[in-house]
Amino acid sequence: MKKDSNTIIEHFRSINEDPHEYAKSLHAKGQRVAGTMCTHVPEEILHAAGIIPVRILSSHQPQAMTRSYIHETYCSFSHDCAYQGLTHNYDFLDLLVTSSSCIHMGEAFNVWVRFAGFEGKSFLLSYPHIIEAKPAAAFMKQSYDEFRQFLETFVKRPVTDDDIERAIKVYNHTRRLLKRLWGFLRRESPPITGPDVAAVTLASQFMDKQEYNPLLEELVKGLEAEPGNKAGGVRLMVSGGACDDMAIFDLLEHLDYSANLIFVDSCTATRYFWFEVPEGRADKLEAIAEGYISRIPCPSKDNVPGTGEKKRFRFIQEFIEEYKPDGVVFLYQRFCSPQPMDVVALRPILDKLGIPSTDFELDTTLPVTQFRTQLEAFLETIKGVVPRE
Amino acid sequence: MAYTLRSWNDFKNYQTTCYRNYLHASEGLRVMGSTWSVLAPLKGLGEDILMIGGEPHAASTAGTFPEEAREDIIAAETAGLGFHSCSYLKLFTGEVVRDRIGITDKTVKEGYPKPDVIWTTHLCSQHSKWYQEVSRRLGGIPMYAIDMIGGGNAEKDPKLVTYVCDQINEGIRWLERVTGREYSDELFVKAVRNEIKCLVLWGNICALNRHAPAPLDERRLIALFPPAVVDRTTDESVRLYETLLKEVKHMVGTGQSVAPDQRYRIVYFGIAHTYGHPEMARILRDAGAEIVASVYTFGTCGNFKGIVNGTWSWDPIDPAWVDELDLSTRRKAITELAKIVLGWPTWQGVRSYWALESMARAMIAEYKADGLLLAPSRSCETDFRNGYVGLQRIFKSQIPTIEYDSDQVDVRKMDLPGAQRKTELFVHLMEARKRRSA
Repeated sequence: MKKDSNTIIEHFRSINEDPHEYAKSLHAKGQRVAGTMCTHVPEEILHAAGIIPVRILSSHQPQAMTRSYIHETYCSFSHDCAYQGLTHNYDFLDLLVTSSSCIHMGEAFNVWVRFAGFEGKSFLLSYPHIIEAKPAAAFMKQSYDEFRQFLETFVKRPVTDDDIERAIKVYNHTRRLLKRLWGFLRRESPPITGPDVAAVTLASQFMDKQEYNPLLEELVKGLEAEPGNKAGGVRLMVSGGACDDMAIFDLLEHLDYSANLIFVDSCTATRYFWFEVPEGRADKLEAIAEGYISRIPCPSKDNVPGTGEKKRFRFIQEFIEEYKPDGVVFLYQRFCSPQPMDVVALRPILDKLGIPSTDFELDTTLPVTQFRTQLEAFLETIKGVVPRE
Repeated sequence: MAYTLRSWNDFKNYQTTCYRNYLHASEGLRVMGSTWSVLAPLKGLGEDILMIGGEPHAASTAGTFPEEAREDIIAAETAGLGFHSCSYLKLFTGEVVRDRIGITDKTVKEGYPKPDVIWTTHLCSQHSKWYQEVSRRLGGIPMYAIDMIGGGNAEKDPKLVTYVCDQINEGIRWLERVTGREYSDELFVKAVRNEIKCLVLWGNICALNRHAPAPLDERRLIALFPPAVVDRTTDESVRLYETLLKEVKHMVGTGQSVAPDQRYRIVYFGIAHTYGHPEMARILRDAGAEIVASVYTFGTCGNFKGIVNGTWSWDPIDPAWVDELDLSTRRKAITELAKIVLGWPTWQGVRSYWALESMARAMIAEYKADGLLLAPSRSCETDFRNGYVGLQRIFKSQIPTIEYDSDQVDVRKMDLPGAQRKTELFVHLMEARKRRSA
């Protein structure tokens, strides 16, 4: 069983290594493929229309091309995503979709539409910037309806409520399985490592859920039967923005001190799936809106009207109670605005809880040596660090 | 001979009085927030609403106290805010951190006056986070942020208008709840009409710059729209803009200008750093080059016809239209207010590259520009940074165009010598073009 689990994990990791090839292979099989640039895109509606959503993420290739399209003080993630449009890596996509999300990724989308030939095959979904606003649900429902109508024209067939209900069930199945997978990391002796869990989760954003779900189910069932390995290292939680560079998570577990990644609060990990869309509702679009509102909010959209509360902090505190980290690593893109602004407010909360934290800024490539030094120094500040044998 | 504006002091006094009232009042309701918010809903709470708005206050502090401004920004960074974060935000938050505040009458008050409520807006990724941070630092001030989901033609999209209206409606209920005050629709409607009137009047004043010579320069434009930003809901604010419109019409009629030497007419996209950096303005002034139109001064608190039949128009709106608006119910008043605010040009361009491009194209044509000056602001999340990179690509083959980085109030981020050289080159480009076409 152990071998089978490893084989499945390796399969997911290989897709993460080259999601572009994977997407291309779907297209070659005659399937319609849509690139998505934000996890607020309701993938269920695409799925219901028979289109496979594939998230556009970084290529991690150093480049200077995008500097003359996007200001240098935009995050490297947005530059990298724009770059892939400008180099025509994804010309085979049938469609490009995003929701109005952070300004930086909005510009990456604009570059594809404006300068990379996607003007005639793109859709920008109007989406609230304050997800907790009371009228947000009604607004989202209208936007989803426009999206559905657009897709109906695009695929030249109706996208029925039954189609959407089926898609909701497929996606909820993925979400439940992923929650079970992350649940292993609560244990003292998990049968899977944090970096592997992060890699499996990332693959869910590229893969056709019909192909992904059975593999994930097999993995989760296999792991449930496994005894697990005593982790014993410093338990580290990561909180931040999009991070598709799995090397940072692998690095966390290969330091001179023993450390274990036990949770990742980001849109490339738990923020992507830590919610469900209500099933069996008469109004499918309303149900999707309700589900997406209940997500762990993206920092760029998190502001409860009336109090100014950041709802994401509640989730983080719950995760801290459940996963019991010894330290928190804030990991966000350089030049990102909303993430570090949350860190300013979050750090005092962690201080009160007695949980040390440190910050890392991500760029196109990973400065492994510097990160290693900083991480090891961080671990040294946490009580109970055991030198690696 | 340069014309001297008669109404100048009245504008300055109005702005300073607003700030003094906020700082020193012993009674009334103190409200803080972005002045990009709809302001009239606050006025339904009474006639003693004292407001301080983030962007204009930060801008005027930087102009009045350059040293204080630097200390404020550094204090905010020391307190954890990022080097690349909005410098308006940092200056404003820095005052809270340092527990002192300076205003345009050149006084500095020790002890930051806490607001009773924060009423603000959210558009870019850090806009309402600004006030979340201020609220947190001041011990948890109740705050309500409205998601002004702008972008290209937003005011004509019923879905967006309804969404914003519903939030304003909820916001009014919240204001009643949190302040315990009875809400007056009569006061609200009056404030709505004033707010819309000021925005329309400012659009009319700006539109007069299509004449040659343009009656107003960028320095006056940047100084004359803040009263509309600070509090545009009062009878006094309407009177000010009506008076100014008359005066500027008179200037046009008599061929006068505050800067009559206008060999080159420039369209400017950027926040007003040329005012903050007199060295930049001097290069232009010495060459007889004037900024006659800019999306920031025109469109931050001013309305125009906007998208008409798919293309942008900087034509002004007839002020008489405001008097005829049906504001007979709260909902109708909210709707007209939401539509006018969603129609602000600065917002149209924040999330819509095509609106920004259409605006630039129209401004260049309508204002008969000799050159396009683009100055993305390094710490601004909105179109004041990124959209301009795209504009440069599009317009450089059509009209003399330069682009250099600036920043709204953080002088550390301005490459002054580089920007000066580019500006000199810009003047040469405009001259060469003039000679070619002569």
